[in-house]
Amino acid sequence: MTPGSRFLLLILTGIMLQFPAITHSRDITALNVSISVFEPGVPDDRSLHRDLQIFPRIRDVEAKFLPFVLRETLVGTGEWGAVRVVTRPDRAAEVAISGSIVFSDGERLELRIRAVDATGGEWFDRVFSSRLAPDVDGADADAVYGRAGLYDEIAESLRVARDRLDDRAINRIIETSLLRYATELAPSAFGQYLTESDDGRFSIERLPARNDPMLDRIERIRLTEYVITDTVDAKFRELHEEIASTYALWREYRRKSVEYDRQNATRAEETRLDAPRGSYEAIKNLYDNYRWDRETAQEQDRLAIAFNNEVGPVVDVMEARIAELERWVDEKYAEWHRLLEELFEVETTLNRVESANP
Amino acid sequence: MMRHLKILLLCLAVTACTTAGSVIDEQMLRVDGDMPADFSGAWERDYSRGDDVNQVLRDIYYYLSRTSADRAYTTRPGPVQPSSRDMQSITALARLAELITRPQVLTISQNDHEITVDRKDDFSLLCAFYDGVAKGTESDYGTEICGWDGDQLVSHLVLPDGLQVTHRFTVSEDREQLRVVTTVSSSTARMPFTLSRFYKKFERLPPDFNCVETLSMKRVCSTGEIEL
Repeated sequence: MTPGSRFLLLILTGIMLQFPAITHSRDITALNVSISVFEPGVPDDRSLHRDLQIFPRIRDVEAKFLPFVLRETLVGTGEWGAVRVVTRPDRAAEVAISGSIVFSDGERLELRIRAVDATGGEWFDRVFSSRLAPDVDGADADAVYGRAGLYDEIAESLRVARDRLDDRAINRIIETSLLRYATELAPSAFGQYLTESDDGRFSIERLPARNDPMLDRIERIRLTEYVITDTVDAKFRELHEEIASTYALWREYRRKSVEYDRQNATRAEETRLDAPRGSYEAIKNLYDNYRWDRETAQEQDRLAIAFNNEVGPVVDVMEARIAELERWVDEKYAEWHRLLEELFEVETTLNRVESANP
Repeated sequence: MMRHLKILLLCLAVTACTTAGSVIDEQMLRVDGDMPADFSGAWERDYSRGDDVNQVLRDIYYYLSRTSADRAYTTRPGPVQPSSRDMQSITALARLAELITRPQVLTISQNDHEITVDRKDDFSLLCAFYDGVAKGTESDYGTEICGWDGDQLVSHLVLPDGLQVTHRFTVSEDREQLRVVTTVSSSTARMPFTLSRFYKKFERLPPDFNCVETLSMKRVCSTGEIEL
């Protein structure tokens, strides 16, 4: 063995020593779930934001905040393995959930959620919505998130989709997930185990040996990456804890604003025919209807600024920390990728030499 | 002489009213490069200048008497009293114009693509340009659009029943004075009602505290930097 390859093995051994070897005794129904930060659903055309009552910065916060609420719901069911919120799509996840915010005001929340397993099988892709009951207490944060309805429904849809799969299919998902991760990290060593069809489905051609040292390394590296992912996940928890009450307030104000809109409409309808056409009362009424509508909208703008003032610094700190962690992962990932490829080359050469000189 | 001048202005206003639909044309909606004028700042009403509502009403009464007389000339020469319906509808517009132009202070903020005119006890006029094109505000209760007529900023509000409110903002060259001409018209009135208001720029005293609005703590103020 050359000094160079010895050095490579030494580094990888270092990584391996940090974690115990993977045991294969996990509950196979408890699949690991990765929830990507949602798409905020903000149209590129800025001129539409006001008309659609979309506040981009707040949508951005919601896109980071709501996945964590879903995570908490899934963890609470006890039906799943590790549930993580990730900032980038985790292509090799056993179950990957992505979503976008279709609509969000104080009363109604609509999320488009897509769940896909590691084999590329789509579990569902549909819109979930919840509407807050008019008499709900605004201080009830769970109710304000629409958590009671919407997130339970998503969790139930996931459970139903998983229950349709037998143990063999679930095992296949777990194996495919690991092989997809391995293929991305060390394509030379694992590229031949998987094939991808035109429709994005993955199938396993054959499995590596259980005692394949390369696979063992991959599993350990994945654990290292999970540690970082869990740190990122912890940042989402901190964000959730720090802004939950402010977000609940925002939703409550938004809900009141929707109520004011309704009251404005009722008043406009009721006063429409009261005064003779062209009279001061009639034209003032027309002006006031518009004025109240605009004042309601402008009050929302002011509240959105207040929300940003309060939450912005927290989000900025979180984003900076996550960016730092992700930079670290990207650098390490590139390094691991290079090391594994080189190691595979070294081991293959050694095997060839040993075979030629038994 | 003065009265004749005012009548002439009224005639021009009537002409403008007949083309109310084109208060803001396509060209006015576009801005190439910088905004043509800067209105930003705090403006307080200059009561020494501007129209007196009653005087404008009297001029309209006189104008309507003359035009009614022209129409009735074939039967009976000389001034004719305008119909009470005409005067009632004009008076209604005058009262609304007076109400709308009542704010003593206008606070105008302006950046590269947006102008906001904050008025006490009324909604803020908003003039937003996206990629150099004005974007109006539409709701079930009316449509608001603005544009540039040379150096003048024109805000136009169209409400149901043909009611329209137009504000025309002009700033003096030294940026010390602001003129706002407000016209209220309606399909129920024979002519629009126009009021001019003048404002002087004033500097607000720098605040003793730095304040920031928040949701949970409302207004947070500090003599130093605010850390939330």
